[in-house]
Amino acid sequence: MSEQKPTLNLERVTKRFGDFTAVDSLSLSVRAGRIFGLLGPNGAGKTTTIRMIVGITAPDEGSVELFGRRVTPELQNRIGYLPEERGLYKKMRVGDQLKYFSELKGLSGRAAEEALERWLSKVKLSEWRRKKATELSKGMQQKIQFIAAVMHDPDLLILDEPFSGLDPVNVELLKDLVLELKAAGKTIIFSTHQMEVAERICDDICLINRSRKILSGSIREVKSGFGRNAVALRHAGGDGVLEDPALVASVERHSDHLEALLAPGADPQELLRRLLGAGARVERFELVEPSLNDIFIEKVGGDV
Amino acid sequence: MSKFLAVVRREYIQRVRSRMFVLVTLGAPLMFALFTVVPILIAGIKTGGPTRIAVLDETGKMFERVRDSAGVGRDSDGGDDDEAKTDEAVSGSANQNTRGRMEEMAKASAQNYEFERVEAAGRAPAELRAQLDERVRRDELDGYIVLPSDVLERGEAEYYSRNLGDVFTRGQVRNAVVKAVRDARLDSHGVGPEVMRAVNRPVRLKATKAGGGQGGEEDKGQGFFIVFGAGFVIYLTILMYGQVILGAIIEEKETRIAEILFSSIRPFALMSGKLIGVSLVALTQFAIWGVAFVGLGAYFAAKGMAVSFPRIPAGVFAYVVLFFLLGYFIYATIYALVGSMVTTSQEGGQLAMPIILLLVVGFYLAFPVIRSPNSTFAVWVSMIPFFAPITMLIRIVSQTPPLWQIALSLGIGFATVALLLWLAGRVYRTGMLMYGKRATIPEVLKWVRQP
Repeated sequence: MSEQKPTLNLERVTKRFGDFTAVDSLSLSVRAGRIFGLLGPNGAGKTTTIRMIVGITAPDEGSVELFGRRVTPELQNRIGYLPEERGLYKKMRVGDQLKYFSELKGLSGRAAEEALERWLSKVKLSEWRRKKATELSKGMQQKIQFIAAVMHDPDLLILDEPFSGLDPVNVELLKDLVLELKAAGKTIIFSTHQMEVAERICDDICLINRSRKILSGSIREVKSGFGRNAVALRHAGGDGVLEDPALVASVERHSDHLEALLAPGADPQELLRRLLGAGARVERFELVEPSLNDIFIEKVGGDV
Repeated sequence: MSKFLAVVRREYIQRVRSRMFVLVTLGAPLMFALFTVVPILIAGIKTGGPTRIAVLDETGKMFERVRDSAGVGRDSDGGDDDEAKTDEAVSGSANQNTRGRMEEMAKASAQNYEFERVEAAGRAPAELRAQLDERVRRDELDGYIVLPSDVLERGEAEYYSRNLGDVFTRGQVRNAVVKAVRDARLDSHGVGPEVMRAVNRPVRLKATKAGGGQGGEEDKGQGFFIVFGAGFVIYLTILMYGQVILGAIIEEKETRIAEILFSSIRPFALMSGKLIGVSLVALTQFAIWGVAFVGLGAYFAAKGMAVSFPRIPAGVFAYVVLFFLLGYFIYATIYALVGSMVTTSQEGGQLAMPIILLLVVGFYLAFPVIRSPNSTFAVWVSMIPFFAPITMLIRIVSQTPPLWQIALSLGIGFATVALLLWLAGRVYRTGMLMYGKRATIPEVLKWVRQP
């Protein structure tokens, strides 16, 4: 995959259901070999966007281009999709249904058999192969569904809320698998409303709310462009300095430190100087980046 | 194409492997046997002793005639009014079996009558009746017949019974009295028993298709029987497998797999794959039954029992198969369409019920069609895909219509199947986007138009 050509490109895509516009003139592009976070609150239009990418529905306006082409049934084979609404055939054996799903993606025979063995052992479920889906716990089922999305070795993997309802051990396991796929050059779209998770694994993000794009770019760009300065501070004395509204907008106290959000345009160096000047003893002074969660709440919060 | 085959294979293997399939395959013939044999056995059970009937014979000469007439079958009696009225077409071979069985059951019970003569001996009729009523009440009698002295002239007799619901006994008593009175009347006109027998010798009407030449085979109403047989098998198959198809279509909605499938395969391929898969299951089941049935027939034939399989001309047989397939697929795809609209199979069952009525309407349309198979009406109803399987077959076995009409009927039919399937795929895909909500008809129409 060349770096210049995006794996996926959405150009002013709009989808309406009756009077309701689910996705409104959305443009975004996903670069090859990156993990792309499609973020937004529930009902923002994430799932509808994904459905247009995988070819379940067609956009009313705009175009979706995958690997530089319109999505066709053949191209569908190169996508792996773990939907948010997901399930398994209850009475079918785990191995049989995984093979069925991969056959629907054009993988069969010896290759399917090998992929099945490999992935089952990766998620530590090899001995469950002949069991029926109903005998599996919810977490196990979720791992099987994950395999269904990746077994046919797709170039683009789309995961819609992949970690919801998983215990921390399994979240780590799946996260490592996703990073492994990224290292193998796969492109991954990751949709979630859990910002902590997105922050840890995404390279690029696109935040949508109420059918529209709010912001997009690499995590670094997004954070630096957010124009917000906060300082983590542990000190003794000089409290008066923090009450200057020209310098500090607000203070949030934690158990062993406090977080001071600087007033717009204020320089953190000025704060440090003033504190020292006031005779404070500073034990910790650290510039904190805004978390995605902060950005999310700031951009979306008042709206919800 | 390989994805379509993958769907067919999964649907087929999962179902054939299921315990339910084995159970139904083995159980259904047993149930069938149970339902055909057991009623005969039950009906043949003699409860209590013989039926005791007193005859109050005011003419004084009818008792023997009534007693001897009881238990004699209707057929020898000739020209019974009811029978003559029955449309020959309707009482074709299909019904002959049932009627024969009923008569046999009645005959079996006929041997169990005890008639008792009651002499008037100068007592008043009212007093006699009171006495007989009392005996019936005390369970010494089951009923009594009153033959007035003018029964031959006025033709009126009376029957009193504890149990008027016992239609067999009532029918037997009626037959016995009718025959006794008729014989007595003929006797009084000097017609002897030999003449009566000669008069009553049955007439057989041999029906042969015109233009068949000298070797024209006699038509025993087989054609009609075959069509009704085919219609019945369609009906049975749909009753058995409609729900299975519904379940197969809904399965991915209930298990929430639909979204994965539609990101991999086109709706039409999925729908047709499911339909074909389930149909192959039905075919497998029928084949097992068919082989077992023929095997059993051959076994009995080898043991020297008279077993006759209906003989159907090869051309007609081909049409029967074609129209059976058409009928099956038309109604199966309707089930698929219904399945694509609903979220649970219970809902689907309710919604599909009125559609099955269409099939029943087809049966009724068969009657006007057989009377004038080439009328405009017949031509039209044989073009409507929901009725064609029965109505067109009727036309083929009665007055074979021109080939282009048959071809057109089949063409329209299978085009409808494809259209319904395509529609089901579209409705399914759009309906999937809103889980847990049943679609309204306007919504469905809108989905179909959506790209």
